[in-house]
Amino acid sequence: MNNKFDALKDDDSGDHEQDQGPPKDCEKEKTEEEDKEQSSRKKMVVPGAGEHPLQYNYTFWYSRRTPGRPASTQSYEQNIKQIGSFASVEQFWRFYSHMIRPGDLTGHSDFHLFKEGIKPMWEDDANKMGGKWIIRLRKGLASRCWENLILAMLGEQFMVGEEICGAVVSVRFQEDIISIWNKTASDQATTARIRDTLRRVLNLPPNTIMEYKTHTDSINCLGGRQEDL
Amino acid sequence: MSSAGNQVKSVPIPTRVLTLKDWSQLPDCYSQTPGGTLFSTTPGGTRIIYDRKFLLDCRNSPIARTPPCCLPQIPGVTVPATHPLGKLQELKEEDEEEKDIADDSQFEMDI
Repeated sequence: MNNKFDALKDDDSGDHEQDQGPPKDCEKEKTEEEDKEQSSRKKMVVPGAGEHPLQYNYTFWYSRRTPGRPASTQSYEQNIKQIGSFASVEQFWRFYSHMIRPGDLTGHSDFHLFKEGIKPMWEDDANKMGGKWIIRLRKGLASRCWENLILAMLGEQFMVGEEICGAVVSVRFQEDIISIWNKTASDQATTARIRDTLRRVLNLPPNTIMEYKTHTDSINCLGGRQEDL
Repeated sequence: MSSAGNQVKSVPIPTRVLTLKDWSQLPDCYSQTPGGTLFSTTPGGTRIIYDRKFLLDCRNSPIARTPPCCLPQIPGVTVPATHPLGKLQELKEEDEEEKDIADDSQFEMDI
């Protein structure tokens, strides 16, 4: 019992309380994954026994901004919370099934799903020279498209080596935006492949426009981040 | 090609040409190896690849349904935002409309 609360203590995502959560289901299973998580201070996520490993570990993040607040790197970093990390297909579903679908998010909110160790910020080393494909969607499509996007990413459907950094879904006032970030904006073979995979896996409405933006372009032109769109 | 004087009758490989007006008409299994991807090359070597169908099938396994131990409680995101029962009912109805998968248990959280 104590070990579980220690794990919660180390989690820096904030807002959670130690005596909450659904202990019954968790405590029933004594998986390898739980033992490993609790025994290492750094909370290394590994696939549990009998689970299907992913090529990479990933972390879910959530951010929400009150419109009108000044956007700075510091405030952005404070606004964004880790939801959790996973290393297997089953662990992914455990998180995903307990999160609201993007279509049901309110306000100016984002979900980010990035490889473990890469922060969903352009300042991160992995993103500095990178860019993203962005797709603007009318309301009603975000949940399905986000799901197809992340399933393709987790399933290694993009086939661009190490280039993929992560994906973001942004819920905004009259539209939603999904995007996929890669490391090297100038690598046209990679960006073309990503685009082709997006067309293939997302089943977008005809005439949907896909736009590629380098992160430095986004900073210079719009004077801000995707979260400011 | 002929060798040692033998005449081999050659026949073109049978093909079928389809004209697509839109990407959405591309059949789902086009150019895929079962369980594989659209592409024939694998930069960076062998990778762990899962197709969409496989990932969705994993969702129903018992290991995948229990809540993660360290899920932070974020109202409106990981737990219902307003009155637990009111929101749960809305969410249940929406889910049942859109999907066949019984996701009900995910919203019945102990608070």
